[in-house]
Amino acid sequence: MARILSIGSEFPSYNKTAVVSLEKGKEFVQITNEDHKKLGKWMVMFWWPKDFTFVCPTEIAEFNNAYNDFVDRDTVLIGASTDSEFVHAAWRRDHDDLRGLKFPMLADTSKSLAEELGILEENEKIAYRVTFIIDPQGIIRWVCANDLNVGRSTKEVIRVLDGLQTDELCPCNWEKGQDTLLA
Amino acid sequence: MDIHQDTLDAYNDLISYIGVSELEIRSTSLQSLVSGTSKYIRDTKYNLRTLSENETISKKEAALISLSIAVNEKNSLLVKSFTQKAIEEGANDIEIGEVHSCTSLMGINNVLYRFRHFSTNKEYETMPAKLKMNIMMSPVLGKEFFELLSLCVSSVNGCEVCVASHEQSVRTHGGSAERIFTAVRLSAVVKGLSSLVY
Repeated sequence: MARILSIGSEFPSYNKTAVVSLEKGKEFVQITNEDHKKLGKWMVMFWWPKDFTFVCPTEIAEFNNAYNDFVDRDTVLIGASTDSEFVHAAWRRDHDDLRGLKFPMLADTSKSLAEELGILEENEKIAYRVTFIIDPQGIIRWVCANDLNVGRSTKEVIRVLDGLQTDELCPCNWEKGQDTLLA
Repeated sequence: MDIHQDTLDAYNDLISYIGVSELEIRSTSLQSLVSGTSKYIRDTKYNLRTLSENETISKKEAALISLSIAVNEKNSLLVKSFTQKAIEEGANDIEIGEVHSCTSLMGINNVLYRFRHFSTNKEYETMPAKLKMNIMMSPVLGKEFFELLSLCVSSVNGCEVCVASHEQSVRTHGGSAERIFTAVRLSAVVKGLSSLVY
């Protein structure tokens, strides 16, 4: 099994279609890894295995309810799976909790991004339930992977995000230690 | 979405959260922050929001603390908006009035006690103040919160003796260190905000 891309790695380049609305003609946009970097923002991308399944909508709705918490923390929120943008749009139309979604649903139809991230499940080639936190320089700062049937906690993501963002604000410029003293 | 639009969104989000309209703001700081696409706008809203929607102080208490600092800073725009918030969270006229009087009383005491503390002549510490401070007797806001408010204003005004004694007093009346720290952080944030929005 491929190893999940982890802390310190650069998040892969991508240019993918995403569903951002159900308004005719305005459903789809292209999003890239440069978008959040240009705005100097952090990015949280959370993956789920398949649209139209059970655990996922509750999680997605929880992220949606916490949307403002991400905005306030200058963080772009993106949901993703290997489904196509049309499946995303159909699911969004179909499910009460998803109709008013405030963040994009990225379609990794070719599975190239999930593969590069090392989160592609071997049999069906669907994404594991993985959450990434990426800093404004495009570096992965946190990865959390759950097995297929376990939902994740949005509160925990925000807690970690707060912790990571606070790092940046420390005024003391830590410098790598001087020469060690010889005993 | 470009950075200018994002900054404008942040600006609108902030003033809407505070509860002021663009037309009411005379200061030009926010305009400068918008032109400078400053991240500070979002940070300001984040700081205000996380400290007002906190576990250790209620939303009503947060509004009243914010109000006291706005009064202290003579910021009529923020006084108006935090009064509104306090009312929305259930504060009545008597409670709001008490916030004003507590703030003003701290204005008095922060000078007086700081003077006594600064002066090398310790005679003043034995000379009675002879000032009426009746409102301290049985505050409608409750002793603990009244002391907490006093601590907040004293922290902003920078009276060492007042800060030390009110901090102890709050803890004696059952306030936790976490609660105290949240209240003071909120006061600090409102003080900072007061420079931007008036």
